[in-house]
Amino acid sequence: MAGAAARVLIVEDTPTQAEVARALLRDLGHEIRVAETGAAAVEIGQAWRPDAVLMDIELPDFSGFEAMRRLRAEGVESAIIVVTAHGSVNHAVEAMREGAVDFIVKPYAKTRLTVTLQNALEKRALVTELREVKAQLARDRFFGFIGGSPAMQAVYRTIESVSASKANVFITGESGTGKELAAEAVHRASPRRAKPFVALNCGAIPRDLLESEIFGHVKGAFTGATDNRLGAAKLADGGTLFLDEIGEMPLDMQVKLLRFVQTGTFQAVGASKPEKVDVRIVSATNRDPWAEVEAGRFREDLYYRLYVVPVEMPPLRDRGDDVLLVARHFLGAFAKEEGKRFRGFARDAEAALATYAWPGNVRQLQNVVRNIVVLHDGDRVERAMLPPMLLRSGGARSAPTPAPIVAAIAASASFEPPVERPTAPASPGLVVAASPEAPPEPRVAEALPAWAPPASGEPFQPLAEVERRYILAALDHTSQDIPRAASMLGINPSTIYRKLQAWRAEEARAGR
Amino acid sequence: MTIQMPIRFALRQSVDPLVRQCDSLEVSAIDPDIAGQLASELPREDFVRILRTFEDGLGRLAVMLEAAVGKGDLDGYRRAAHSLAGAAAAVGARRLEHVARLGMDHRNTVDPRTIALHVRHEAHAALTELAALAENPPGPG
Repeated sequence: MAGAAARVLIVEDTPTQAEVARALLRDLGHEIRVAETGAAAVEIGQAWRPDAVLMDIELPDFSGFEAMRRLRAEGVESAIIVVTAHGSVNHAVEAMREGAVDFIVKPYAKTRLTVTLQNALEKRALVTELREVKAQLARDRFFGFIGGSPAMQAVYRTIESVSASKANVFITGESGTGKELAAEAVHRASPRRAKPFVALNCGAIPRDLLESEIFGHVKGAFTGATDNRLGAAKLADGGTLFLDEIGEMPLDMQVKLLRFVQTGTFQAVGASKPEKVDVRIVSATNRDPWAEVEAGRFREDLYYRLYVVPVEMPPLRDRGDDVLLVARHFLGAFAKEEGKRFRGFARDAEAALATYAWPGNVRQLQNVVRNIVVLHDGDRVERAMLPPMLLRSGGARSAPTPAPIVAAIAASASFEPPVERPTAPASPGLVVAASPEAPPEPRVAEALPAWAPPASGEPFQPLAEVERRYILAALDHTSQDIPRAASMLGINPSTIYRKLQAWRAEEARAGR
Repeated sequence: MTIQMPIRFALRQSVDPLVRQCDSLEVSAIDPDIAGQLASELPREDFVRILRTFEDGLGRLAVMLEAAVGKGDLDGYRRAAHSLAGAAAAVGARRLEHVARLGMDHRNTVDPRTIALHVRHEAHAALTELAALAENPPGPG
């Protein structure tokens, strides 16, 4: 601001004096306005937000000091220089006490005025800059994220840096670390924020419907296409298309996506002409994308097109005190929602939360807190209210041992929640990075029949089939209680609903 | 440069001894350190704009001051004197400022009518000298 043109408000009831100040400052190129009364100064200050104010003390309606107080009360943070005909120490002291940055006695020479003003503007610019830097370093809220850890600060900075650009963003991270929330943050921080954000979970859509979901279809394109339908690419025109679980996309679909990413054009299923759209693509996976390329499951050319700006979401166990920040947030939100009195956690309960490894990341924490709020009451959460798995962890916070899902299902003691997407917002207006639900009692392996790998020579079942059988078994075990089955499986109830819907649709198709 | 004179001055009649003392300083009506600096530091058009603003203000304030004196409105008289002092100080019209400050001072015993008369006289003197300064500004520095 110093050096650049600034907004300067001259508060002076004597027109000659104001004209002198205006003339002396003219060379500096600042934008100047004059207020002749204290009330006018407050009104202009509120509306115009000047960078600096030259404040006369003796004004017709009230004193310049009072005007300063009123400006501050209105949140006007201009650098105020008190200008007075009386060079008394008392005036100077009072001016400084009221928050003036400097004090100048009339009549003043041009140099005195310009140097004082420039110093004040420089000081204000530094204070503003310092505050912004501090706010950035200390912020524990960012587009719905909760967390002030260095790992999350790095995420915020990356998202901010990339937001203005059209570059494609690739988000990686364990399940439940908030990849969709990060994608939304990229969108909301970008100039595209007024346009749609369209999210598509490539892993949740049957492969034969994926093309239609992304690019749309025309009536009659295939059996069941009874009408024209817009795809996500068209719906996201001007905005952002979020392709979650992109690693699940079949290779043949990857070719079509590559063409779309390269040209910005696509052809709806059954359409005769291509369409062009302006879409920014944000992709996400909980896998290592390069390992997927090396394994031949993900096209290298598509990888390079999408993996332009990587954002890695840190697991909750690497986020230090964020665990407690997030837990307190959930506690407040759920207590309000459930009409409970909870106001905080007992110290030993916090210690248990802080030392647990949270393999399911934020959603697991979210569900643990919800579980506590629903099942208990009191002013604070006691350690005894925590689920046994937290108390059993023995205080060691280490990365969970990566285990294939089949092994995780089979294993009894070391259950790891399967892959899941973030849940819906925990409270209106504040979406929280979510993660898989924790499995409250009973644990899966105890509740369901043991599973063993196929005997030698026998074929392995497709993973999708294993998943289907396992979910159905959990439903049988709970007498079709979907929320309980979901809780046992460490997934969101919506996942089971979605899966059931997809299976019914498949069965219906097979029946025809 | 021509500065219009909206004020037509009457001859000085009775002058309080205190005012006479002020007059007897026999110094110029304007302070060269202030007015001269403005004239030398500012482009001529800026300086002239200041003088015009000053001149307009003087006309308005002198009328206000005299009206207040005529009505015996002491508060109005002091407010006008205060504004006159501020305007005069801005351009270094030191004798005018001095007289106006006498009017502002609650302890002052000089008759307001005398002050009003003297204000007119000093305003004229200041405008004359300032106009001359605008015609021949001192060199920079």
